[in-house]
Amino acid sequence: MNAAHIRKVAEDIPRISLVWLLVAQVLVIIPHVLHVPLWLLGLWLGCAVWRVQVFRMRVPFPNSWVKAALMLSSGFAVYLSRGSLVGLDAAVALLITAFILKLLEMRTRRDALVLIFLGFFAVVTSYLFADGLLAALYSILPVIALLAALLGLQQSSFAAQPLLTLKLASRLFAQAIPLMVLLFVLFPRLEPLWSLPQAKEQGTVGLSSSMTPGDLADLGQSSALAFRARFDGAIPAQSQLYWRALTLPHFDGRSWSISQRLATQEPQWQAQGEALSYSIIMQPSTQPWLFALDVGSSEQADIRLMSDFRLQRSTPVNRAYQYQATSWPKALRQPQLSQMQQHEFLQLPRAGNPQTRDWAQTLRQQYPDDNALVAGLLQHFNQQPYHYTLKSPLLGKDSVDEFLFSSRRGFCAHYAGAMVFTLRAAGIPSRVVAGYLGGETNQAGQFVQVRQFDAHAWVEYWQLGQGWRSVDPTFQVAPERIERGVQDALKDEVDLFQGDFLSPLRYQHIAWINQLRMSWERLNHSWQTQILGYQRERQQAWLKQWFGQVDWQTIGLFLVLSAALIIALLVLWMFKPWQRQSDPLQRIVNEFQRVLQRRGFTRQTGEGLRSFWQRIRTDLPEEQQPAVIRFIELYEQQQYAQQLPDLVVLRRALAEIKK
Amino acid sequence: MRNQLETCIDAVNQVVLGKEHAVRLAMACLLARGHLLIEDLPGMGKTTLSHALAQVLGLNYQRIQFTSDLLPGDILGTSVFDRETGQFVFHAGPIFTELLLADEINRAMPKSQSALLEAMEEGQVTIEGATRPLPEPFFVIATQNPVSQGGTFNLPESQLDRFLMRLSLGYPNANAERQLLQGGARRQLLNQLQPLIERAVLLAAQQQVSEVRASEALISYVLRLVEATRTHAQLAFGLSPRGSLALLAAAKAWAFLAGRDYVIPEDVQVVLPAVVSHRLREQNGPPGLASAAVVQSLLTDVPAL
Repeated sequence: MNAAHIRKVAEDIPRISLVWLLVAQVLVIIPHVLHVPLWLLGLWLGCAVWRVQVFRMRVPFPNSWVKAALMLSSGFAVYLSRGSLVGLDAAVALLITAFILKLLEMRTRRDALVLIFLGFFAVVTSYLFADGLLAALYSILPVIALLAALLGLQQSSFAAQPLLTLKLASRLFAQAIPLMVLLFVLFPRLEPLWSLPQAKEQGTVGLSSSMTPGDLADLGQSSALAFRARFDGAIPAQSQLYWRALTLPHFDGRSWSISQRLATQEPQWQAQGEALSYSIIMQPSTQPWLFALDVGSSEQADIRLMSDFRLQRSTPVNRAYQYQATSWPKALRQPQLSQMQQHEFLQLPRAGNPQTRDWAQTLRQQYPDDNALVAGLLQHFNQQPYHYTLKSPLLGKDSVDEFLFSSRRGFCAHYAGAMVFTLRAAGIPSRVVAGYLGGETNQAGQFVQVRQFDAHAWVEYWQLGQGWRSVDPTFQVAPERIERGVQDALKDEVDLFQGDFLSPLRYQHIAWINQLRMSWERLNHSWQTQILGYQRERQQAWLKQWFGQVDWQTIGLFLVLSAALIIALLVLWMFKPWQRQSDPLQRIVNEFQRVLQRRGFTRQTGEGLRSFWQRIRTDLPEEQQPAVIRFIELYEQQQYAQQLPDLVVLRRALAEIKK
Repeated sequence: MRNQLETCIDAVNQVVLGKEHAVRLAMACLLARGHLLIEDLPGMGKTTLSHALAQVLGLNYQRIQFTSDLLPGDILGTSVFDRETGQFVFHAGPIFTELLLADEINRAMPKSQSALLEAMEEGQVTIEGATRPLPEPFFVIATQNPVSQGGTFNLPESQLDRFLMRLSLGYPNANAERQLLQGGARRQLLNQLQPLIERAVLLAAQQQVSEVRASEALISYVLRLVEATRTHAQLAFGLSPRGSLALLAAAKAWAFLAGRDYVIPEDVQVVLPAVVSHRLREQNGPPGLASAAVVQSLLTDVPAL
């Protein structure tokens, strides 16, 4: 064997490492399956088989032409599947593609190292799509597999027990946990240098800045989580929980939308009555607006109360976001409106819905007083045969006319839109409010959980001196919607969770499933508040509580010292100097003694193994004798004859005895 | 080589009946280049054993019968005035031999006893200002009566320390004694013994014994034993470093006789009583005598591995 050949053998990737690398690749790719094109799975299978065949020396490594062709075609395929090569989705798809293709290029240990670190990076990128408790727990698997691959690289090519390597990797992982906790608690939360692009899928659910009646009905079919709210005091009744997201004053004949002009003014309101205090963790919405009960305000610097009483953040909510808010439900809102503002809230399209306009005039004559007119209108919804449903028929050009006088079937948005249209036609300033109503109270966790199907729309009208007053026409049609929630109101409509048989929400009538679901929600809530919510402000508050003064030098020093302490403790625990068991030979002999002790033969302190053997040999069953004496002879040779210790042989002899 | 040594041992066993273990220990002692002290009551075969060993090993040997009026000059030799040349001529004493048999060594006065000291330790004697080397190899096989016997002078500890081993033979068992009574005169048998090993082979064997391997673990065991003697509650003092060297050397010889080129703890344990008991002293006990119980406690209490 010449030097070059020896070097080549040393550079080869050991079998164990390859095994764990392939396993790790699968585990790394699994969380990405929903976000990458499916043909990537085929690509992985092909590359893995190829690489294994290379290892078995059945096929050669691909040459440069094949590699270049593969690279270009995969890149092009990603472009075709994603329509672009920039953006989060495409970038992750490219990353996974590279991760897979690198397998074919992996000749030396150095290449394997690159692949392993790429794997660690891909584990992190999966958090862009899911940052829940399950995702975090799952990522332990690929990390341990990658660690095992890393360990395998350091092992001899003849090592043949992948599970031992996995065990070692798991031990390493477990030993790193204290350090992980320390870094999590103390490591400074730096603001990102660049803003993270948002994954496409997440933006699809939620309210948007304009509302066509059908939109909310679509939302009503989604059980995705919108936000969770934890009240500092008692949780108010369901029917009090009108979570405002948006105020929609502008109507174009089909849809209601927000007005940019109004947003710039200062809100005018006077706090009255008791205040409610609560904290909200909202799921990413890709929109800047937040949720609050009327009239909400927040101390947080990046949150502002707009003139239409919605809370808005300076940047869109792209990751789960936690904020603290206070609300005065009885506050007097904007008692004065200028002529121009009043005009804004009376805006209607020039034409369309003539029947409704006529009816509004009739009502105006019937009820000269505004409040009486509103009451009359609500009474109309109550007494006439209106029906609350998700499945409203498609409406034509004069949608309000059709809804009010012919179809009479609709979701909350239909009622709110029709009512505001009528009020405006009758000369009363009014607007549509979109948000969520109610939510599910988790008794164990003391929080309210609001899902997308809790989306709701209601009406506000304005009176001089009294300000804005909220009314809900849906309440007149389907009071159970307000009091018990949308699921109860629509329980006849079997398609609420259509196709989602696995959703635990389908099985709320089964008590233990519901119980389990509630506990799980609670766990998730804790995860979000305690772990994901542990951001800069929380960290600083916490550190202040412990260290008095938040001084990054002290923290850094403490961080380094604690890390050193943890490592020192780990080292002590691993090497156990007090046990003096550093001699591996000694450990094996101890095990040998334990084995024989279980069979009733105990070595005396002053007895050498040979005299021990001579004492017990007559009592030892004959078939066990050869194995025992062989072990003793091997031990003597290794311990006393100064042969190079060969623990493997000794262990094998011990295993013989154990049989 | 080992076969020749085994033959020697067998031959001695023909003469000294029923004492195989003691004979083997005695052989190990000589292989470890150590001096041997045989202690027992008169008539137990001490002298027979020493003579038998001298015979089979084929060394030239001298015998001194120690008596209370023995003078150092009787051991070392004296210068005598030669009238013809008008000069003093040195007449070498019996010590200038390869194997010295010192019978009943404790019957001599301390002055004569200590004449042996330098010779035993350094292989040379200094007489009237001139240092004269002793032949190589040089062994002393001494016998002595137990201290309780009348007309004895105790060997001092410093002198006892010079002996690698002290053996005592004890009564033979009934079977061996029956053979003894039935057999011919011992003296006769002794004279019939032929040298069974060449001098060069013996020297080579000694060389090989010194090369027997003592591993780290084994030396740790020896150190544990030595440490135990030094901290033992019943012992007035522990083993000296010379004592621990002696223990290891004797263990090596025993291992060699067992056909191994490395020492195991059992080798140390076998030679331990013979090597250490005359070097230790129990609290309030006579010097140079550690009871068998104390030595046994070393064997059982000190971890062997």
